[in-house]
Amino acid sequence: MPVVAEGFSGAPKDYFELFQIEPQFDLDTDDLGQRFRTLQRRFHPDRYSGGSAAEQRLAAQVSADINAGYQALKDPITRAGHMLERQACDLRALERQPVSGEFLMQQMHLRDKAEALSSDDNEGRSHLTAEATALMRAELLSFQEAIEKEDYELAGSAWVHLLYLQKLNKEVAGSSDLI
Amino acid sequence: MALLQIAEPGAVVQEPASRKLALGIDLGTTNSLVAHVSDGDVKVLPDGSGDVCLPSVVHFGAEGTLVGSAAEALAVSAPHDTIASAKRYLGRSREELAADSYTKLAESGLAFETSQGPVTPVEVSAALLGALRDRALSSLDMPIAGAVITVPAYFDDAQRLATRQAAELSGLNVLRLLNEPTAAAVAYGLDSGEEGVVAVYDLGGGTFDVSILRLERGVFEVLATGGDSSLGGDDFDQRIVKLLRDEASLHSLSVAQERALLRCARSAKEALTTASEIEVQLDSIISGSGAVTVTRQAFNSACADLVNRSLDACRQCVADAGVSQIDQIVLVGGSTRMPIIGEVVAALFGKEPLNSIDPDRVVAMGAARQADLLIGNRDAEDLLLLDVIPLSLGVETYGGLVERIVPRNTTIPVARAQEFTTAKDGQTGLIVHVVQGERERVEDCRSLATFELEGIPPMVAGAARLEVTFQVDADGLLEVKAQEATTQATASVVVKPAFGLAEDDIATMLRAGYEHASEDMHARQLAEAKVEAEQLVAGIRAAVTSDGDLLSGIEHEALMTAVNELVDASQDDNIESLRKAIEVTGRASELLAARRMDRSIKSALGGISVATLEGEAES
Repeated sequence: MPVVAEGFSGAPKDYFELFQIEPQFDLDTDDLGQRFRTLQRRFHPDRYSGGSAAEQRLAAQVSADINAGYQALKDPITRAGHMLERQACDLRALERQPVSGEFLMQQMHLRDKAEALSSDDNEGRSHLTAEATALMRAELLSFQEAIEKEDYELAGSAWVHLLYLQKLNKEVAGSSDLI
Repeated sequence: MALLQIAEPGAVVQEPASRKLALGIDLGTTNSLVAHVSDGDVKVLPDGSGDVCLPSVVHFGAEGTLVGSAAEALAVSAPHDTIASAKRYLGRSREELAADSYTKLAESGLAFETSQGPVTPVEVSAALLGALRDRALSSLDMPIAGAVITVPAYFDDAQRLATRQAAELSGLNVLRLLNEPTAAAVAYGLDSGEEGVVAVYDLGGGTFDVSILRLERGVFEVLATGGDSSLGGDDFDQRIVKLLRDEASLHSLSVAQERALLRCARSAKEALTTASEIEVQLDSIISGSGAVTVTRQAFNSACADLVNRSLDACRQCVADAGVSQIDQIVLVGGSTRMPIIGEVVAALFGKEPLNSIDPDRVVAMGAARQADLLIGNRDAEDLLLLDVIPLSLGVETYGGLVERIVPRNTTIPVARAQEFTTAKDGQTGLIVHVVQGERERVEDCRSLATFELEGIPPMVAGAARLEVTFQVDADGLLEVKAQEATTQATASVVVKPAFGLAEDDIATMLRAGYEHASEDMHARQLAEAKVEAEQLVAGIRAAVTSDGDLLSGIEHEALMTAVNELVDASQDDNIESLRKAIEVTGRASELLAARRMDRSIKSALGGISVATLEGEAES
């Protein structure tokens, strides 16, 4: 039985560099999408279907990197994670760090509310989602401020808070009858 | 072509006279079709009697093999020798093969027992592909450069691999495995220049697929895909069979009678497309059983749960895609001719579906477009497909739980690395069980393969760091590589497909006498290898001419030595040493190719960097 070792391996790539974008949290995702499509148009393996084996291997590798980079940068939470990785933060270790008592209390309170929701209580659900979303917005702002001030400890804790809130939102959405 | 077009892939030079023939093949559960592009128009090729649909039925009789309608005609009289819907069993387990009520399972292996001995679903599919290839050859009289073969988007790795193996067996060069809904979108998108978000609802004979795509400036990006790989027109046929059996109180039928009843049910279903009720005569199956009236209403109610299963998958897919509106709906598959389907789909998405292209032909037509593009007959700049992996890939960990490595709907190609470590001191081997599916427990997912990593240097438990890379290529096929990180020792990976044929089995089958495995095969392979060597050498020389500055003196010398050795090797007729030289030279050229690609990435984005700089100046 394999044991999954901690952390994804391999040297972390700088996706801002790949897309030739100045590293920044406040990203224009339309521009990112355009860069993504421009790069894929050129490097997707379909463009090398008549090429040598080495060339096809390389194209697949580059294309996979472009895909991974786009995935990482287009969503603000994964983008935040990538920005921390660029500063050599160990994300797995960060995830395991204890959060503040205050934040924990707030999470438990929200979680109690989520558990009390009945599956047909759409109003209660949208209230709770709105509450979590507002908290996420605040954390995103605090991440941005922290990363601009190069306060990676604070940025890291904002990122962890975002993960908690994202998970909560997913669970709230999943408890619905409707998709 | 070669290494050199990296900077400008659109500018691949073709010899002017060498327009190549590329086929688009829809390998369907019920019917299969072949199409090609000629003078910019897509043509679906008919057989000698004018039919474009080849029934996906193969008869393996004592007197020989029959494909298509000739085989279908024998389905009732020789059910065990006549295999239909083999697509349902591609990449499936023996237990799943046993569920087919018309055929006989072979004593062992993944095969059906016929008068010609055991026949695997891969061989059945290969026979169908061979028949379509022959159809193209006889009507076009041009050598075939390759084919794009479509698969349901929901096909897992084992099913895709089996499809590829069937093509290999039939002697077709696979340019790409293309998802059926994506192919349909290509057919529509290119014909009418649509932009926006498209939902493709594809109900075929044996599978149901739904995909949400975004079309933007010539890039077709699949946002999400879903479906049910065991829901199709066949299930609707079975509901009519049940209606008929219940109404006429038909019990204990022979296999031949079952097949005849199924045929009646199928024509009844087709008749109900236009009629609101029909009378089915059952006397020809069992005398005295009379006629049964089936109304469309009764049929719709009998199928309500099937229809709802498809709608649930649609809702899930829209949620996964994260889109708020659908601009177009494309219906694919003969089963979407059932009026109930058009009605419920229009109601769900709030829009009337497109239906200007025959739903039976649209997939083959899209595949032909893509094949034409891949073979280099068209300006490659005008279309790019970005597809996704339909089901999550994961590995088994402690307690029978799944650790997800690549989540579903990730754009392909994709490569993810995961580290593993040993559980015991001195452990030198590790078994990685790869599964595909969305459930948390291994037993609820589909087992794909077991990888055995051997030759790990003995260390204390937890000290070894095995980096396993999972790569999914543009066909949706998985490849796994492993390396021990601290010692750089490469652990060997032995693939044991869970339900499928190993590469060795395919090689054996090829040797066992498919027509293209004749004595001239060696000559053909040698000729192909020489062409490949020539292209590689020309490619490297041109790359060195344009971007030689990227190499140091030593690197340049090493590359040229490899090139010269390859030139020497291609003078001889020794295929083994030639292949080896191609491999070695190819590897030697990777450094230059990689640096050129880096340079190219920078220039590719040169045009839009300006916009970003302006944006920054403002902020």
